[in-house]
Amino acid sequence: MGFLAPWFLAGALAVGLPVFVHLLRKQTTVPRPVSSLMFFEQGTQSSTRHRRLRYLLLFTLRTLTVLLLALAFARPYFRHKTVLASDKLLLVAVDDSYSMNAKAGGDAGTKLDEAKREALQTLSHKSVGQKAQVIELGGQMKLLTQPVEEGDQLRAAVDGITPGDGHATFGELGRGMRAMAETVHTPMELDLFSDMQESNMPGNFADMVMPGNVQLVLHRVGAEKATPNWTVESVQAPGQLVDTKKARVIAVIAGHATPAASRTASLVVNGNVVATKKVDVPADGRATVVFEGLDVPYGESRCAVRVGSGEGAADAFPSDDASWFAVKRADPERVLFVHQATDTRSPLYFGAALAAAAQAEFVLQPITPEQSSDIDPTKYAFVVLSDVPSVPAILENTLIRNVQVGGSVLVAAGMAESHREHIPVYDGNVQDGHFYAHGLADAAGFATVGEADGSHPAMKDANGWEGTKFFYAAAVPLDHDAGKARVVARLGDGTPLLIDRQMGEGHVLLFASGFDNLTNDLPLNPAFVAFVDQTAKYLSGEERVSGARVVDSYVQLRNPVNEASGDSAASKATVDVVGPDGKRPLSLKEAAAAQSFQLEHAGFYQIHFANGRNALIAVNPDPRESDLATVPDDVLKLWSGSAGTGAATAGESASEQADNSVSGLWWWFMLMLAITALAESAVASGYLGTQREAA
Amino acid sequence: MLQRFLDPAVLHGINGLDLVAKTVVDGFVAGLHRSPDFGFSLEFAEYRAYSPGDDLRHVDWNLFARTERCYLKRYRGETNSQMTLLLDASNSMKFSSHAVTKMDYARYMAASLFYLSLHNQRDPAGLIVFDDEVRNYVRPSTRQGQLHRLLAGLEQAEPAARTDFGKPLQHFQEFLKRRGIVLVISDFYEQPETIVKAIEPLRFHGSEVVLFHILDPKEIYPEMKGPSILVDLETDQRLEVIPDYVKTEYRAKMDNHLQQMKERAQSAGLGYHLLTTDKPLDRALTEYLSLRRSSIAGGR
Repeated sequence: MGFLAPWFLAGALAVGLPVFVHLLRKQTTVPRPVSSLMFFEQGTQSSTRHRRLRYLLLFTLRTLTVLLLALAFARPYFRHKTVLASDKLLLVAVDDSYSMNAKAGGDAGTKLDEAKREALQTLSHKSVGQKAQVIELGGQMKLLTQPVEEGDQLRAAVDGITPGDGHATFGELGRGMRAMAETVHTPMELDLFSDMQESNMPGNFADMVMPGNVQLVLHRVGAEKATPNWTVESVQAPGQLVDTKKARVIAVIAGHATPAASRTASLVVNGNVVATKKVDVPADGRATVVFEGLDVPYGESRCAVRVGSGEGAADAFPSDDASWFAVKRADPERVLFVHQATDTRSPLYFGAALAAAAQAEFVLQPITPEQSSDIDPTKYAFVVLSDVPSVPAILENTLIRNVQVGGSVLVAAGMAESHREHIPVYDGNVQDGHFYAHGLADAAGFATVGEADGSHPAMKDANGWEGTKFFYAAAVPLDHDAGKARVVARLGDGTPLLIDRQMGEGHVLLFASGFDNLTNDLPLNPAFVAFVDQTAKYLSGEERVSGARVVDSYVQLRNPVNEASGDSAASKATVDVVGPDGKRPLSLKEAAAAQSFQLEHAGFYQIHFANGRNALIAVNPDPRESDLATVPDDVLKLWSGSAGTGAATAGESASEQADNSVSGLWWWFMLMLAITALAESAVASGYLGTQREAA
Repeated sequence: MLQRFLDPAVLHGINGLDLVAKTVVDGFVAGLHRSPDFGFSLEFAEYRAYSPGDDLRHVDWNLFARTERCYLKRYRGETNSQMTLLLDASNSMKFSSHAVTKMDYARYMAASLFYLSLHNQRDPAGLIVFDDEVRNYVRPSTRQGQLHRLLAGLEQAEPAARTDFGKPLQHFQEFLKRRGIVLVISDFYEQPETIVKAIEPLRFHGSEVVLFHILDPKEIYPEMKGPSILVDLETDQRLEVIPDYVKTEYRAKMDNHLQQMKERAQSAGLGYHLLTTDKPLDRALTEYLSLRRSSIAGGR
């Protein structure tokens, strides 16, 4: 017997209270008035004996109450060796990650089929009355049933497990079991049916350690030795295409536990093989294949790079031999560049950078503010307001409306804007202008970038910004922008340089300097090309949908609604998601409100975003699932032995730990406490009743 | 404030009864009390032969004209009964085992009697409050405002000091010169012979004396669950008493005391009634008045 909270035993010191009340405190009797003593006579002989006996009983009950209370809080327990089989909760976990689609060998079908067969066998050997629960371990851990005794329900749950495309991790399983052990205190037996893929191991072994009352039983499915598998590990292709001849598709063919072999790589466009190349993949290594030119029709195309068997060993996992990607072919999108008539440098530098980058997806259309009154911004990928102090009100209103529904504007606040406080479209004012060239703020006559947020799409490649000199920057206060504006880059003195502000579904990117080489030397810097390229992709929305995704990643459907302003008119628009199987996974309610969506299956998703854009997104399984190398037996033994008290006592057998279960006694003490308290109340009420009468 | 002495429920119970005095008292004021003496009133009683010295104004000349004999006409006189209430205001009257102390109960009863006497019967009523001395005296009267004076006297009668029937007795004799009804309200914590000896002289004037013995029910049947220290309310003397004694010997002594009181009072021609404070007040008075009426009827 022991105590789980022995510090509460210190509460037994409260026994001193009844000792003081009964034994140390002097008993006082309240005198009782009567009309006359003429009929009374003194008598004291037998009174004290009765009183002491009754007080002794009361004292004992009170002392017992205090002791039982302290003991109950100290949570006494005792260990007992015998645990009935029916008391143990059986957990059947079936791994349905993407690698389980691989062949198990022989005629057994896939590894998942074999795992389900073994799981059903385990359930059939379950003792009568024992509860069991079925768990699916894919990209996430899912509980398919409640703890039930009915075998039919459990078998149906196992049969219902379908092949998944996710990436399982044993760390997720460990975390889930630890969370479950906080509510379930009975012994549990976890039977895991998995191919024990090495890539499923988390970085830290402690993540997959099981709690004390879980006995882990591992069932390896498939061969212990890794089977050779070739796969298309990655594909690099443009998401949007203008010139099909200039486009390049670069694919990496990887071999896992494979000998050196010659494979064929095919480029498939809309189901047709348009190019085939032979590639020599070294033993357990990687090879790169480059397809020059990507001849796709206008619109969105479903493309893939597929690796064929070619000559040599057979592939054990044909499902991962292709990697999908989506390409959209369109004419170059126009970018409206509004600049002052006197400013000829800005369109020159910006246009040159735009032409050099982004595979000529954008064409710059420079105009002056005077020409821009009847411009429709919806026809442009995005709009640039380059240091224009004012734009026609009709254009500004049109731009604001366009931004609210998903358009984007890049505003450069150069020196010309310093004469006016209001910044067009951007809901803010220029507070001051910092002229670093005059040496007021910086002795060197210029300022440099102090910090840059590399996680922002426009600043992915901010390496070249360090040497850029800024001679002028507009000071834009951020006080009223709290929660809506994000400072992407700051100068050394803290002045915000690049501010991204969300307005409705769209964005306004404010560059607090100019695009000429007078206010800074950024246009002369190679980093300007990367900046313009990434900014153009970000503002045009291409960045959000380009490239291939991995299963279980999320795609943002709409911008988060700002509760304070509630200015997102477009956020009320519904989105539409069509999955690889042609079904719509979102309900109508979800389609009207969901901000993001998890891509759970491999294939092509057709998505209509809240801002009105459409995109075809290719989703591929996690490439780690293609590495079929398994966890060594000694590691598995260490893992299964770690259940109970952790890795330090891995030598103890799991069964012994499970049998050595703990039974709490606190509620027995609470029961006795309740009885004692009732008895104490009965005795004390008699005593107090006498006292009251006397008073 | 005074209204609390005039509980309508109590008065309702008493209204239905006629207070008929047992003793006829001198007086000529019209009322409901029939006097055994003859006086000069409107109701004819009898003729008596004239004897020398009689007042010629009472001769029935009509009868003389018819019979030539002189007869005097005699009438039945109606008189008032003066009621004097002696209220014990000693400290022992403060005792109570519930909401109403003995003093409260005595006040209620006295107020009810005053109201009945003055308002319904138009009898003079007076009050003597005493403990070991006479504390307050309100002369019997039927004047306007008498009821308020009496009730104010009751209000001021706060228990103090101890009871002593011997010392205030001589004062009682001075105050009670007319015949009437004398009511004594007390808990009578004294030897019965001492009490009767002190009160008996009040009857010598021809007054009807009735003793109301007021006790708390817990004084007759006390409850004690453990040894207790008792304090005498009058003497402040302390005594430790055990429950066994209270259950046996105290009961016997109290019963004997009550029996002695009753017997001694009756043998001295005093009326005696034991009232406990848990009994309804109207019920106690009704009981007493019924007894009085029946005794009057029996006496005729």
